[in-house]
Amino acid sequence: MTIRKSTLSLCAALLALCSASGAIAGETKTKPIMGIPASSVAAFGGVDGIHNWVESLFYYIMLDNRINYIFKEFGNVDRQIALNTQLEHMVLGGPNEYQGASMSAAHADLGITMTKFNAVVEAAYNACERNNIPYYNCNDLIAALAPFTRVIVTR
Amino acid sequence: MKRVRLGGLRLLQSAALLVTAVCSSAAHADWYNDGKVLLTGGVFTVDGAGGGGAVPWATISGYETRDGINGSAAFTYVNLPALQVSFYGVNVGFYDRLELSYVTARLSLNLSNVDLVGLLTQSLNLGDSLGINAWNNTLQMDTYGAKLRLFGDAVYTSDSWIPQVSLGGLYKNNMSKDLVHTLGANKNKDYEVYLAATKVLFPISTLVNYTARYTSANEDGLVGFGECSGNGNCTNKRKIRSEVSIAHLVAKNTAIGGEWQQHGDNLDGKSLNLNGLDTQGLASLLQNLGLGGLSNSLTQKKEGDWFDLFMAYAPNKHISFVVAYLMFGNISVAPDQNGFYFSTHLTF
Repeated sequence: MTIRKSTLSLCAALLALCSASGAIAGETKTKPIMGIPASSVAAFGGVDGIHNWVESLFYYIMLDNRINYIFKEFGNVDRQIALNTQLEHMVLGGPNEYQGASMSAAHADLGITMTKFNAVVEAAYNACERNNIPYYNCNDLIAALAPFTRVIVTR
Repeated sequence: MKRVRLGGLRLLQSAALLVTAVCSSAAHADWYNDGKVLLTGGVFTVDGAGGGGAVPWATISGYETRDGINGSAAFTYVNLPALQVSFYGVNVGFYDRLELSYVTARLSLNLSNVDLVGLLTQSLNLGDSLGINAWNNTLQMDTYGAKLRLFGDAVYTSDSWIPQVSLGGLYKNNMSKDLVHTLGANKNKDYEVYLAATKVLFPISTLVNYTARYTSANEDGLVGFGECSGNGNCTNKRKIRSEVSIAHLVAKNTAIGGEWQQHGDNLDGKSLNLNGLDTQGLASLLQNLGLGGLSNSLTQKKEGDWFDLFMAYAPNKHISFVVAYLMFGNISVAPDQNGFYFSTHLTF
């Protein structure tokens, strides 16, 4: 009985630690070698435009049988759209707060392959086309997100 | 003897069964992969390696990622005033790490001055050691290639200047031994080694590639390797030559760009090597026929570097098309060769 109690309290402590460190760690802006133009957020149509783009992204992700099951199984899509809007806003220049977990923490156990990562990139280009965001502006976002490959692709 | 033969047959049968089993059961399961993003595997070079038109890139051909295997087949047609070349080839990419390739080239030469030598030697029974046919001179060359990605990721390391770097080797076997010797080359078979560095620069939507190739090739090997001077002194000095490809993506499925490939000077200023013949006799014969100028026209010009401007279009992951305008300078005895290039690349 006492053992169980202590285990419980240990769990609670761990949980608190995790959530606390999660809030601190979060994710930081990437540093693409040629920079991200200051006009990038505006090119996406401001924060509303970025939100629209993320909605389109998830529309295409959820249509793609290679990857949609991961998002169905592990994530609340509405929450992901909100957090992704913050993330994309941040990497395109912000300034804003990103409240989600770090990319490595969020993807650690998902066993994401390069093939699946590329499927999301294809969805990203489709979302740009759907939202009439020019190809060149779309590449700025891809450049800003590309370094996350290292922590997202774990297999 | 009989037992050995039976054993061999059995081995062959089981191997065939194994191949069939692997192909049918796992055809679209374990090893097959087409996960690369459009055009990021490059297209099919005339050397069979994945890359641009003439310049091999560090990218591994096919649409496979590190998760599987993919392959491709291609046909390329080059049309220049003095010659036409058809290239047929295949390559396979393994786990975005290793690439194996094969391509065979058929080159038809329409040089009236060379044809005339063929006509004369043939009609005057001077022997056929020149490898020149009076009416139709065709060169054939097979190229076998392998490329290994050493390090780097051309596409996704956008926060680092480190490119994707690959080491490649090509073995070229030019079947038209007599003709390439007549054109002054030393060898008809040789190898080439290259080191390629490729980087996609997203902010300018441009792929940049630099390749250093260690070779002694004349016109990519189509006119053999190295050189022989008139006195039978032959050399095959390999040197490092530079090659550059720049491809700008105007859309996710369309690229435009240009290439430069440095060439050597092995055959510059050399006349056709008519060693097999009494060249004095031929010259005086030509004089008598009032064709004295022909000897001069058989002097090879300075080999030009290759330049091209291209457009590549990939409507989907199964097929892409490349059209290019080629500026190849002087080729052998033919001056200023500009022309067109058309290539179809099929990816499985």
